[in-house]
Amino acid sequence: MFFHIVLERNMQLHPRFFGRNLRDNLVAKLMKDVEGTCSGRHGFVVAITGIENIGKGLIREGTGFVTFPVKYQCVVFRPFKGEILEAVVTMVNKMGFFAEAGPVQIFVSNHLIPDDMEFQSGDMPNYTTSDGSVKIQKDSEVRLKIIGTRVDATEIFCIGTIKDDFLGVINDPAAG
Amino acid sequence: MSLVTDSPVHSSSSDDLASYLDAHLASGSTGSSGSSADDETDDESDHESERIKRHKAENLEIPEEPEGSTSREYSEQIVDSEQSVETTINQDSCSHPGSFGGMCMRCGKSLEEKSGVTFGYIHKGLWLANDEIARLRKTDMKNLLRYKKLYLILDLDHTLLNSTALTHISTEEEHLRGKVDSREDISKGSLFVLEHMHTMTKLRPFVRTFLKEASEMFEMYIYTMGDRSYAQEMAKLLDPKREYFHERVISRDDGTQRHQKGLDVVLGQESYVLILDDTEQAWTKHKDNLILMERYHYFASSCQQFGFSCRSLSEMETDENESDGALATVFGVLKRIHTIFFHELEDELAGRDVRQVLKTLRKEVLEGCKIIFSRVFPTQFPASHHQLWKMAEQLGAKCTVDLDDSVTHVVATDAGTEKSRWAVKEKKSLVHPRWIEASYYFWKRQPEESFSVDQKASS
Repeated sequence: MFFHIVLERNMQLHPRFFGRNLRDNLVAKLMKDVEGTCSGRHGFVVAITGIENIGKGLIREGTGFVTFPVKYQCVVFRPFKGEILEAVVTMVNKMGFFAEAGPVQIFVSNHLIPDDMEFQSGDMPNYTTSDGSVKIQKDSEVRLKIIGTRVDATEIFCIGTIKDDFLGVINDPAAG
Repeated sequence: MSLVTDSPVHSSSSDDLASYLDAHLASGSTGSSGSSADDETDDESDHESERIKRHKAENLEIPEEPEGSTSREYSEQIVDSEQSVETTINQDSCSHPGSFGGMCMRCGKSLEEKSGVTFGYIHKGLWLANDEIARLRKTDMKNLLRYKKLYLILDLDHTLLNSTALTHISTEEEHLRGKVDSREDISKGSLFVLEHMHTMTKLRPFVRTFLKEASEMFEMYIYTMGDRSYAQEMAKLLDPKREYFHERVISRDDGTQRHQKGLDVVLGQESYVLILDDTEQAWTKHKDNLILMERYHYFASSCQQFGFSCRSLSEMETDENESDGALATVFGVLKRIHTIFFHELEDELAGRDVRQVLKTLRKEVLEGCKIIFSRVFPTQFPASHHQLWKMAEQLGAKCTVDLDDSVTHVVATDAGTEKSRWAVKEKKSLVHPRWIEASYYFWKRQPEESFSVDQKASS
């Protein structure tokens, strides 16, 4: 799920960046440091949408760096247990399949794939129903439910299932 | 159940937007496990809005629902379906077959890895318990039958290719730099330079045909003692279209033991696995599955590494013969094993063992030969434990220490020994020990004339 929230961060700036472009440098550094990172509490920071407030800078003793407390608005993405997501399949193998929803890696094990779908190996490994009507292969879009999440410094791992009602393939790339 | 407890990284303190949302979302989720109908009705007020939405969805499917039903009855129906959903992900009864990112792949609970194997080469963060690995291996047998494929593990260095560090290129090899194949069309080239790895790599002749044909009979794995980045780069050179190996590239970072390769990281039954490698010591636990290959030394540094002082293939500007070199020979053997396994064995697929087929095939090479060794083994050494003796027996020959008329071959390095002279007198074959080794590597009884012992060496 996406959220648009206000976060605060203390940014350290080297004196070489002072001058007319101080604010721009600060914002650029903030973007470089924060966009694309993950935290357990907020999830994955997708983009910074605006700067709310930059506080007074405090010169650090001994180093000359200045610390600015910056309040900024950003869009974050965080998956929740129980959430329904749409994801794109990236890899299919005998254990299940891996899918991606933005920066989130989701694994759906074959225990949580409906029993009537069987693994077929070959050039394009896939899971297919016995009558061949539904196929999950690389680049398929699936709707899945998250049943567990773990966030570490740079990535979010999730376990998903498609065994419930209304879950499974949305769009078959082969069918076009 | 609060979401906060699920991710251990979470701090449950303070203002957290996250925990505020967690609490809100948790009350509306189906996360509560094993709740009885009574509990449900108690919490009914909280869930009411959710229920009504679900009820509407259900209503579409059960149009004949009597209108007078109270919300309590609806909630009971919904409870039933909820509970059946929950049994599939009930954490307490889950067998925890494996984990991804530290969470059980079946119920989502945080797991501590116990007895199992990490499968980092398939995807980062993947771990499977031993029971699950055994189960997967069994179910894969069905795939085997359908596609008529066995498993083939391929080593990289000296088996499919030869690599050298750019700094180790000798002066006589400098001309190679101008002959490097372009990276534009990898599938047409065989000599490549990887600047960022400071390596030059030469693919063995016949390797592309080998891979193409073998992929129809085998599910192939790469298993190398190089690190993961080396393994991935080599896989790109050998398999630019990613059609042969997919994610099955195992490096030393994926092995469970140092300096040893093992089949524990392979998701296939041991009795269906064949291994192609030039190093026997790497596979001490699986010698029966191993087909030992003659080493490919293209670069001078490779020759030196193994103590050969002759000029390397690169320096002489030649190469292994494509059509009857080591890979072509081994391919023929693999094809025969495959044919025998799927078309000539009579017992049930589950009972067949490719190791048996390998043994039987090997025994045909020197069938009918009776060999005696002359001054090949050190005097006090028990002859039957010697590598040459064992090799000859694996090839189907009978080895003996007693000289009699049934002996067909005398193996010696010196034509002047008693047994050697006896062999010449009785018109038996007198061969150098290399005759046995060559027969082993070429899977064919070698012509004895090519391995005759030098008469002049007699004392």
